[in-house]
Amino acid sequence: MTIGKMLFASVAIACIAGPVSALADTAEKKIALSNNYAGNSWRQAMLTSWDKITKEAVEKGVVAAADPFTTAENQATEQAAQIQNLILQGYDAIVVNAASPTALNGAIKEACDAGITVVSFDGIVTEPCAWRIAVDFKAMGESQIEYLAKKMPNGGNLLEIRGLAGVSVDDEIHAGIQAGVEKNPQFKIVGSVNGDWAQDVAQRAVAGILPSLPEVAAVVTQGGDGYGAAQAFAAANRPTPTIVMGNREDELVWWKSQKDKDGYETMSVSIAPGVSTLAFWVAQQILDGKEVKKDLVVPFLRIDQDNLEANLANTQKGGVANVEYSLEDAQKVIEAAK
Amino acid sequence: MNFFSLPSKPWIWSFAATVIVWIVTVLFTGGASAFGLSQAALTFASFYVIVGIGQMFVITLGPGNIDLSVPATMTLSGTLALKLMDVQDSMIVVGLLVSVLLGIAIGIGNYALIKLLRIPPIIATLSMSFIVQSTAIWANRGLRIKPPEVLANFTTSTLFGIPNVAIVALILSAVAWLLLEKSIYGRWISAIGQSMFAARMTGIPVDGTRLVTYILCAALASICGYLLASFSGGAALNMGGEYLLLSIAVVVIGGTAVAGGNSNIPGIWGASLFMFLVVSMLNTYGFGAGFRLILTGLIIIAVILVAGGRQAGR
Repeated sequence: MTIGKMLFASVAIACIAGPVSALADTAEKKIALSNNYAGNSWRQAMLTSWDKITKEAVEKGVVAAADPFTTAENQATEQAAQIQNLILQGYDAIVVNAASPTALNGAIKEACDAGITVVSFDGIVTEPCAWRIAVDFKAMGESQIEYLAKKMPNGGNLLEIRGLAGVSVDDEIHAGIQAGVEKNPQFKIVGSVNGDWAQDVAQRAVAGILPSLPEVAAVVTQGGDGYGAAQAFAAANRPTPTIVMGNREDELVWWKSQKDKDGYETMSVSIAPGVSTLAFWVAQQILDGKEVKKDLVVPFLRIDQDNLEANLANTQKGGVANVEYSLEDAQKVIEAAK
Repeated sequence: MNFFSLPSKPWIWSFAATVIVWIVTVLFTGGASAFGLSQAALTFASFYVIVGIGQMFVITLGPGNIDLSVPATMTLSGTLALKLMDVQDSMIVVGLLVSVLLGIAIGIGNYALIKLLRIPPIIATLSMSFIVQSTAIWANRGLRIKPPEVLANFTTSTLFGIPNVAIVALILSAVAWLLLEKSIYGRWISAIGQSMFAARMTGIPVDGTRLVTYILCAALASICGYLLASFSGGAALNMGGEYLLLSIAVVVIGGTAVAGGNSNIPGIWGASLFMFLVVSMLNTYGFGAGFRLILTGLIIIAVILVAGGRQAGR
């Protein structure tokens, strides 16, 4: 997202906030964020975005409150208890990033029965009474292979870095990558490791498998692991393959330095942590009485060779490339689902 | 020590397992990967060794002694040191000092909770880890700051083919070995681990020794966090995560008695190399994640059974 677009977004918020506060349909409503984990940079950016956008909304009188709550341990039982507390505290809507797609269903149902609007995002829940803002992770995986197929029509060997084993997001991105490879049989996955979406874990896993791999043409990833992979290739004195990045600042900086050095080309894709703000506006719209489909899809944030510099300039040092959503963006997403 | 006494050394089994796994992995490429794999194994095992030694000292203190604040300490040390150094080469030593001092402070905090509030070590160090982890989150909100270039180069390069971090780990191991085998302190922690009551009766300064041990463990975790953050290009909030179980696993697989009073340093090296190589082996042969985790568990149980069985029959 360019600066211009962000400016446009903030102007849009400013313009819309006026009429909304006049209508005041949701001015008395309280929204809570129930979050299961805060222990990485993506989640920290997610919370910062929430803070920034909701503070503005509260100041303008769009809603009465928008308080974030994070559980200490990444556990479904703890989050279920937290949601029950939020019900008792009388929130009108609860926005959830869930520890588990199914284990919170009981608590979510209780909230719905109490007349509370529940919107889940990123870590979505299967309980039918809740709204879901999902990312098409499968398409995210497939888009990597499509990009590579265009870049290297003759194909080659791929190394796949997966995320945290047992998490649904990992399975979905992996399924997308597999589907892509089936469509483009010139590519062959010669190795697969779990990088747990962390640079140091990815670096270690890649360093361990690299000595036994033939020449690798490209590395497909899930985000948060590209820089570690690049380090491992450099440490093993191997030629740097095309490594798909995941929007982290250190990845983008590394990409930029390679690009300046020898025209290195790749792409970067991930979900913007600001998706929490989209969930906030969707919840606000539902409280406002708008009709909203239960399943919404949020686009992923992709960075390419030509908009690398612009995105890098927008990314906080040491953070993640981010987009914060406005009420207008939310309305567009809601429209698109109809 | 003659050849026939080797099987009675508890650490020999972790090395035997390491060699087997190494050979199986290298066979996959017909031997071509031998050098690269050994170098990678030495590099990453070094981090396990450094936290493992600290945890070993604590476990030697006897039943119930364990330090669960290792991951949080690593994270906070890496985060604060890198923030303080702020990419300036001139601050490298200051960063290291701050990181060690931080470890000492956390160690004192841990033992203060254990002693003054009479909280069991497992709960005391767990509570401490919440405080430390939250401080790390608060300190830098998960933003990654690059290490100073000289430091980053040092941690990622090699000397005569041996990774620098492995040399650091080797020096720390040698110091730990001297402490354990040649100093009165080493005798004291073994005595405390075998019977705290008896140790107190013989006039050993039990509290002082335990305090120093918890400080040592936290300081080593701090140094490890400092090195790991510099090695991997920045600290991350979840960077210590898996070092909790690993630090305990390498101690146990290495042949240190979980019940305390008996420890050994060579075993930590064998176990650390083994833990890295086992994952690499299963990755190399392309097993899926689920199967890989099951196999890792089974192999660890097998190694402990073989090692433990021999010890009991001694």
